[in-house]
Amino acid sequence: MKVAINALQSATGASATGAQGAAMKSSPSLRQRWRGSRNLLPALLFLGLFFFAPLIGLLLRGVLEPVPGLGNYEQLFANSAYARVLFNTFSVAGLVTLISVLLGFPLAWAITLVPRGWGRWLLNIVLLSMWTSLLARTYSWLVLLQASGVINKALMAMGIIDAPLEMVHNLTGVVIGMSYIMIPFIVLPLQATMQAIDPMVLQAGSICGASPWTNFFKVFLPLCRSGLFSGALMVFVMSLGYYVTPALLGGAQNMMLPEFIVQQVQSFLNWGLASAAAALLIVITLVLFYFYLKLQPESPVGNAR
Amino acid sequence: MLLNKRVTAVLSASLLTLACQVSQAADSLNFVSWGGTTQDAQKAAWAEPFTKSSNIKVVQDGPTDYGKLKAMVESGNVQWDVVDVEADFALRAAAEGLLEPLDFKTIQRDRIDPRFVSDHGVGSFFFSFVLGYNEGKLGANKPVDWSALFDTKTYPGKRALYKWPSPGVLELALLADGVPADKLYPLDLDRAFKKLDTIKKDIVWWGGGAQSQQLLASGEASLGQFWNGRVYALQQDGAPVGVSWKQNLVMADFLVVPKGAKNKDAAMKFLANAASAQGQAEFANQTAYAPVNLDSVSLLKPELAPNLPTAYAQDQVTLDFAYWAKNGPAIATRWNEWLVK
Repeated sequence: MKVAINALQSATGASATGAQGAAMKSSPSLRQRWRGSRNLLPALLFLGLFFFAPLIGLLLRGVLEPVPGLGNYEQLFANSAYARVLFNTFSVAGLVTLISVLLGFPLAWAITLVPRGWGRWLLNIVLLSMWTSLLARTYSWLVLLQASGVINKALMAMGIIDAPLEMVHNLTGVVIGMSYIMIPFIVLPLQATMQAIDPMVLQAGSICGASPWTNFFKVFLPLCRSGLFSGALMVFVMSLGYYVTPALLGGAQNMMLPEFIVQQVQSFLNWGLASAAAALLIVITLVLFYFYLKLQPESPVGNAR
Repeated sequence: MLLNKRVTAVLSASLLTLACQVSQAADSLNFVSWGGTTQDAQKAAWAEPFTKSSNIKVVQDGPTDYGKLKAMVESGNVQWDVVDVEADFALRAAAEGLLEPLDFKTIQRDRIDPRFVSDHGVGSFFFSFVLGYNEGKLGANKPVDWSALFDTKTYPGKRALYKWPSPGVLELALLADGVPADKLYPLDLDRAFKKLDTIKKDIVWWGGGAQSQQLLASGEASLGQFWNGRVYALQQDGAPVGVSWKQNLVMADFLVVPKGAKNKDAAMKFLANAASAQGQAEFANQTAYAPVNLDSVSLLKPELAPNLPTAYAQDQVTLDFAYWAKNGPAIATRWNEWLVK
């Protein structure tokens, strides 16, 4: 009993010690903190040269082409169609993240719970889907989902529906296809986090009288949070920039920003407008990222309580 | 002995590098196209005979990427010598100063259909947007012209249209709405979009040839606008697919030389060979795309000829590349607005 209570305390106290740790880290003198930072130089140089310089070049194009000024941004904001495209982009990314989390969570949990050998098999299946060509997987969904596809034919043969369901060339198709592709990216970090949770902690919770639900929401879920957040963030940001799947499974009505950018870059050589659109995407993503960090007590801007 | 071996190794290595340099110095050029069966045919019909006769090596590269082409010209490091591009892009890129003017002393301009040649580009091939339909879906009801796309009662099912704001969709909407072919330009955008509004929810958009074939062959779309070569390929495979050539919309690919191309002279010779009667006929025989050289028609395979746009000259409506080159970006803005509305 005492062991159980200790375990429970250490579990719920984890975030508190995290905050303490952060507080302690900030106390040593400046020199100590920056000690060894010189070793970062090659990496910083690499990043600066191959990441930041092109990025800045890109942002500059947005205000320099075709004529210097804010013309491109004006065009983006003046036209309600672009606002719509932007809205589509974020709503699809949000929806895909939500669904991947809802499906990925039980999957990660199952992988953690089943006997070790089986878990590895399950994980391999998840990984295998990741290694298959993206284009092939997207086309497979097309085969499954289209009006004359496997799913519709089966449902009609069983008499469940009379007319084929429209599951592709619209928002439904995009969300199904993209969620499928994104699930591994949420399962991997989440499964790693779950693996690290000491089962004793859960046992302790129930010994102390927590119902299974309380145990799940008050003990297990908070412990999974870091994996959940990092996985969800990764999925969200990746979804924002996704091109192939929406292009194949979506309808033109649900145009997302990447498709618009491709159109401007490749067909019309309108790099100024494309850069402005890309910059807008970056800024909005950064703002969202900031709020995400705010929610994480361990981060430098987080509300450590 | 050991020393001797080492010396030999060094010697042979340096000889090898020398040999490599020599082979690089020999004439060669980079040819860029869209990949797939089209580029295979271009290789077999143009590149291989050309290398044999001129001793200039042709390196295949691709796929065509307009953004890359612009980036190469801007940076001054142009890796591509001959590029297959869409006709309206060829004219737009020329206006933006991205292309070399062609040398019409080498290339024989007077035998090329004047629709498919400009100062900065010569036709690669031409093709038509045709009305294709799935016979299994429509039964005995055979659509005749573009107005069938807008008649959802007689011809139920989805309509497959080309997704990019480029020549084709707006023109067919206007033709279906009764605009005479010679009065299409300048395009009445309001009228075209209003017409398209009537079937907006019935449209499935295709972005590439393979996707369009998949839509038509599976019956996902009952009818639509397709590249003639793609419908022909489906028919060859035995798919229940029909085609109407009425009001077929003529579009072309051009071969261009990016500004600052390293092997300009070799590129001009290559273009002369590709645009020749023989080169054009050879390519057409392999792909069911039509030749731009007026002398090629007599060299076509007799069984193929009726499946080429050249056999339907009186039904052709030629899309105005120059109009699109100039107005394309503005039309695209309207197009996007209409799409997401």
